[in-house]
This record gives sequence, structure tokens and C-alpha cells, in this order.
Amino acid sequence: MLKIKNLHAKVGDNEILKGLNLDVKPGEIHAIMGPNGSGKSTLAAVLAGREAYEVTNGTVELDGTDLLDLEASDRAREGVFLAFQYPIEIPGVSNLNFMKAAVNAKLAHQGQPPIKAKDFLAKVKECSSLVELDGRLSERSVNEGFSGGEKKRNEIFQMAILEPKLCILDETDSGLDIDALRVVSKGVNAMRSPDRAFIVITHYQRLLDHIIPDFVHVLSNGIIVKSGGKELALELEAKGYDWIKEEQNA
Amino acid sequence: MTVLTDIFKSTLPPPTRKSERWKYSPIAKLLNSNLSTDSSVIDSVFSNEIAPNPVEGLEAYRLVFRNGRFDSFLSDLPIAKGVICMPLSEVSVEDAPEFKNTYSKTEWVGELNESYHQDGMFLKIDRNIKLDRPVLIHHLTDGKDVASFPRHFVRVEEGGEVDVVVWSSATKNSSGMYNGILEASIAPNATLMLEKICNEDGEVYHFSHENIIQERDSKFKMHTFTVKGHWVRNELEIISQGKGTDSVFNGAFLPTGNEHVDNHTIMDHTSTDGTSSELYRGIMYGNSTGVFNGKIFVRQDAQRTNAFQQNTNIVADRGASINAKPELEIYADDVKCSHGCTVGQFDLDALFYLKSRGIDEKAAKALLVEAFLADVISNVPSAELREEIMKIYTERHGW
Repeated sequence: MLKIKNLHAKVGDNEILKGLNLDVKPGEIHAIMGPNGSGKSTLAAVLAGREAYEVTNGTVELDGTDLLDLEASDRAREGVFLAFQYPIEIPGVSNLNFMKAAVNAKLAHQGQPPIKAKDFLAKVKECSSLVELDGRLSERSVNEGFSGGEKKRNEIFQMAILEPKLCILDETDSGLDIDALRVVSKGVNAMRSPDRAFIVITHYQRLLDHIIPDFVHVLSNGIIVKSGGKELALELEAKGYDWIKEEQNA
Repeated sequence: MTVLTDIFKSTLPPPTRKSERWKYSPIAKLLNSNLSTDSSVIDSVFSNEIAPNPVEGLEAYRLVFRNGRFDSFLSDLPIAKGVICMPLSEVSVEDAPEFKNTYSKTEWVGELNESYHQDGMFLKIDRNIKLDRPVLIHHLTDGKDVASFPRHFVRVEEGGEVDVVVWSSATKNSSGMYNGILEASIAPNATLMLEKICNEDGEVYHFSHENIIQERDSKFKMHTFTVKGHWVRNELEIISQGKGTDSVFNGAFLPTGNEHVDNHTIMDHTSTDGTSSELYRGIMYGNSTGVFNGKIFVRQDAQRTNAFQQNTNIVADRGASINAKPELEIYADDVKCSHGCTVGQFDLDALFYLKSRGIDEKAAKALLVEAFLADVISNVPSAELREEIMKIYTERHGW
């Protein structure tokens, strides 16, 4: 589904990704871990199409489509979804209008008519109950005055509404208490399907207790230095990252 | 056609950039034109471009002025108990209102209006009378180098209530000067709502000045929308003369191309327990230039005043600019005043967030603009007016 080859990216003069390779197949969950500053969030931003990052080399293909050639909005319509580490507050834009515009943009892209009001509301109800998001929150301005947990649940709510092919979760567990972590994970797990893939970026093993990955990759200094199964996460949790750095240097 | 040969021989000199109040709104180009007032016979065709009622579906009484002169044929005056509404030119000498604004004595623009004013509206609402529909003043500028000098007078007696809409339009080939003054006084417990919309094609220099005097416990609520206009200066002066007045005045301006929009406001609290709330929002596109200057005075006797002012500006394009200046002068010690003024760009984080959900850049900006304007526009009393304004903004900026 997703093929990343030799990806290099920089912000200003600062090269952050230095030849990253990753292959993600439908139905798989890939966890990406790594120390601070290793390039995890940059990878997420580059995949979603954030303009501040400049791709200097490499390719990214989603089902054969060159993602790097597309605007952020077109990537989303092709099925890429980024759950933000820090969701943005947008005063004055209601969460529902926002989602309706997004759903209709995707439908128009597929040559389909806009969603019927009734169908949309049914979908909203279903998805907000999935992440236990208070019905009133979906009517308020996007993320405005939401607690940290509510913001993250709102991300998963949006993901459920938009039904993307490729879900990228950027430190969705940061700032969550145990209960919120459980709810968010439940939402993600409910969305697992044979034709949907996930890239889960996290610092901590604890998220991976709830969302069980098929692969764990360690990102360090802009490249993936080690890949393994879910047990690699446990090893990292126990031993930290230094041993990998040593392994590399050896 | 009356050529205004002595227009620059007024007692007061035309403003120059040396004056702080006019520093960012130079009028040199206007001073080089040969202005005339229109004295041709008013014919039956109003305009091929513009309808006499500019707001679709708005049920309102109507006073239509063409190049400053009243058009009785196209007007629809209210006939109601306790309401006097007529063109100023038809008011008898003994009933003629006394204009008290100092603007006519201290400013070149005001003096011109006083010297040349042709006509305007006289509106008087008696005690406890509430007019059932808004009164729409529609002013059309049509012609080259035309100068018009409307002058309106509104008095709302105790407990009365009225909504006045002042809409100005101009045809594509128009140029010259619109120089309008509206003076209103609001008696105790009375309410005046005022919506002023400038939607002018052509190249008219638009000067408008509202002078509002509020008596005890009166309410004033105004919205100023600069929808389209070559060069526009909106001046508003509110004087709170009695205790417990409430003043709300909001504005939105979205100039583009080489347009210029200037908003100058003065809120003068001279008595106790008054509240005022001001919100002006601007988005500057293209090579447009903007000015915001909001002065709030809280005089020594105006204890327990609660004044709020906010001016938020987005500079959307590289060539655009705005000069914004809030000014507060507070002489009383028991007051609550807050103000904020910002000049920024579209929130790139918000834009990316919207785009990352599949909404394209144009639609994402439209959502942000709509949200930005919502706080200003949602308080306009008439739904038809709200829709018309949004419609024009949308068409203009292609959202």
C-alpha cells in the first residue's frame, strides 16, 4: 500500500530524514519508535503534506500514486489521515461543518454526490459513541476549549468519519491518562480492517499494549535502524535506545 | 450640473498627511479632480446596473437618493402613528433639526457637507413607538466626477426603537466624492440600530461620518461593512451623555485590488455606568491598504464604565497592508477597559489542519474567513441583510 524509498527531508537547512525506507501492506500496523529528535514527527508531517518540510530525495507511493506530488488536501482524499500530536483549535468553525466539508470533499473527489444530512448525522452518532465523545463536543468549534483527552478522541472521531486507507497516529498517546488511552485504542482497534493500514508513532510501549503492532521500527537520526516484531517494543522499554546506537556504531 | 469651483477655498484646509488623523488616508488625487454636483432632471430609470432595493427580500421602508438628491418615485416612506420620516428638503423651517456635530466646524470634509448638502432623511420616532420594519436609505452615485453631500437626521424619543440601514452603491463608470453625515440622538431607554454598507463600483472617494448622542439608558448598535469601495473612510463618533448607556459597534472590511478602507471610531464615555463593545475585523487582499483607529475616552465623571475594544486584522497577500492604532484615554479610576489589536496572517496551522482532512486550500480559507467574520456579522438584526453581505463577499473573493 505505502512504499517509502530513500526519503530525505529537511526543514530550512536542517536535514532530518536521511534515506528512510518503509513498506506498509494493507491490514498491517507499524509502530515507529525512537528517541527525541530522531525524525518521527517529521515523517508524519512529510507524509501528510506539510509545506514547511522540503523533500530533497526519495519517493513515497500510496497504491501506486506519487504522494509527494499531491497537495495535503489531495493526499487526504486519496486516503491518508494524520492524527495530530497537537490538534489545532479553530474558533468559529464547528466540528460538524468541518467534518461535513471534509466528507463531501472526498465524495466529490470520487465523483459522488454530497452526503445526505440524515446519513451524515447517523455517522456522527456512530463515530462519536465509538470514542465516547460527548455529542455536544461535535457541535462546538473545532477543538476549542477541549481537554487534551478530548482533542485526541476528536482526532480518532474524525478518522472514523473519514474512513482513510492509511492512518498515521502521531504520538496519539501523549498527554493521555489510562482511561483516555483505553478509549482511543478501542477506537483504533475497531477500525482495523484487512484493507486499512496504520503507522503508529509513539515513545512508549504502553500504547502498544492496547494497539498491538505487526512490526516495530526504530528510527534514529533520520533512518530506520532496526525493525522487528512487537517484542522489540518491550526490549526498548526495558533497555532504552542506547544499545541500538551502540549496535550501530559497532 | 454645478461645478464646485470654490471647493478648495473652504475656510478649513483639506487634510494632508501631516495631520495624524489623515496620515494614512491621503486624498491628493481627489483634490486634483473637477467635482460637480448633479442638478440634471431625475429620470425614471434608476440605473441599468443597480436595483433601487439593493437587498433581495429585505422588507423595509425606503428612501432613495441619486447623486445626493431624493427620488420620491422610487422611495417608500413609512406612514405610521408616531413616525415622521421624510426628505430633509421637505421639512418645514420651524421643524428643521439643528445639527450639532462639531465635525462640520472642525474638518474640511464636514465643512463641505455643511456648505453643499442637498438633501437627506429626517426621521423622528415618538415615545414608545417601535417601527415595524427597517428604514433603508439607498444612495446611488452615478456619473463622472460627481460629488454628493447627503445629510441625515434621526431622533428616537424615549422608549422608541428603530433600525436604519444606510446602503451606498455606485455604477462602474462613477467617480467623484460621496460625503455623507448622519446625526442621531437617542433619548432615555430608546434604541437605535444602524447598519451601514458601502458597496460601490467605480472610483468614488467615500467619506461618511456618523455622530451619535446617547442619553440615559439608551441603546445603540451599529454595524459597518465595507463590502466594496475604491476609497472609503468610515468615521463614527458616539457620545454617551447619560448614565447606563449601551453601545455596540462592529465592523468588517475586506478590501482587495488597490482599494483603501479607513475606519476611525471614537467612543466618548462622559457619564457613569456605560458599557461599550467594539469589534472590527479586516482582511486585506491584493494591494489594498487599510487603517483602523479606535479611540475610547473615559472622562473623569464616567465611573463604572465598562469598555471593550478589539481589532483583528489578517493581511492575506504580500502587497496588502494595514495601519492599526487603538487609543484609550481614561480619566476615571473605577472603570473596566480592555482592548486588543492584532495584525497577522491566515493561521497556517489551522489551514494545514483543514487541508489534512481533504478540504482544499480555497475552501479551507473560506471556512476560516466565515469563522472570522461570524462574530461581526451574526449580530446584524436582519437575516436578509446578513445573507446579502455574505453573498457579495463570497462572489468578490471567490470562496
